[in-house]
Amino acid sequence: MSRDPLSLTLSALADPTRRAILARLATGEATVNELAEPFAISLPAVSRHLKVLESAGLIARGREAQWRPCTLQTQGLKSLDDWLEPYRRFWSGSFDRMEAYIAELKKKGKHDGRKTRR
Amino acid sequence: MAARLADDELLITRTFDAPASTVFALWSDAEHMKHWMGPEGFTCPDVEMDFRVGGAYRAMIESEEYGESWFGGVYREIVRDRRLVFTFAWDSGPSGGVETVVTITLEERHGKTTQTFHQKPFRNAERRDSHVGGWTSAFVKLAAYAAQIANVKEYTS
Repeated sequence: MSRDPLSLTLSALADPTRRAILARLATGEATVNELAEPFAISLPAVSRHLKVLESAGLIARGREAQWRPCTLQTQGLKSLDDWLEPYRRFWSGSFDRMEAYIAELKKKGKHDGRKTRR
Repeated sequence: MAARLADDELLITRTFDAPASTVFALWSDAEHMKHWMGPEGFTCPDVEMDFRVGGAYRAMIESEEYGESWFGGVYREIVRDRRLVFTFAWDSGPSGGVETVVTITLEERHGKTTQTFHQKPFRNAERRDSHVGGWTSAFVKLAAYAAQIANVKEYTS
């Protein structure tokens, strides 16, 4: 798998703990200690999760050596949001074709009676 | 966009100028499905389905630009002309093999049929109930849903 930004974002999100961390950060910035609190995992483990989130551009960390508070970075999620739309287009596009096909069947039906199968 | 995906579900409603039995046939008959599956620019040359509860389906859409894309799943609920529930997963891509659940409901009125298409991640409820809990932010749920369906990027521009 390539390491393009989207893949990084997706693999960062493919973990329930990291998603929970993001959910927490959606309510405001937090320190590593605060983030670790709800989880039954060690601080180093939380730090590893934070590193993954940071390299995916989903969070930013303060530069004050001691606290390094984490904040949510909306840019990473914004790109996902932009890209969710194509999925809707996949189905919408299919349903457009469904509509056209129904019109075609109707036209054919006028000649062949009610049977719609080919 | 956040509003329409507020509960991490994709919802598309369409009204077709046809009775529910016709719309249902488009989902339940492989030959019919080949005529409409995939957006403009794609063809769907290959559909196989074992249309019964517990039966599987498998299909492929194809375009010059993106090549072949396979997907499939299992039928979970079938109420003729009214309701259809099946799992849906792409074969490959960043989240290939990740299951979603599609629910189609049909409502016929005066010879026209309103189709409600509804898709959500299969494992969502499980995750929601898991120990992490508390991911109430629609923002994050949206992102998680996007991760589930990641591979779509491959099929559309």
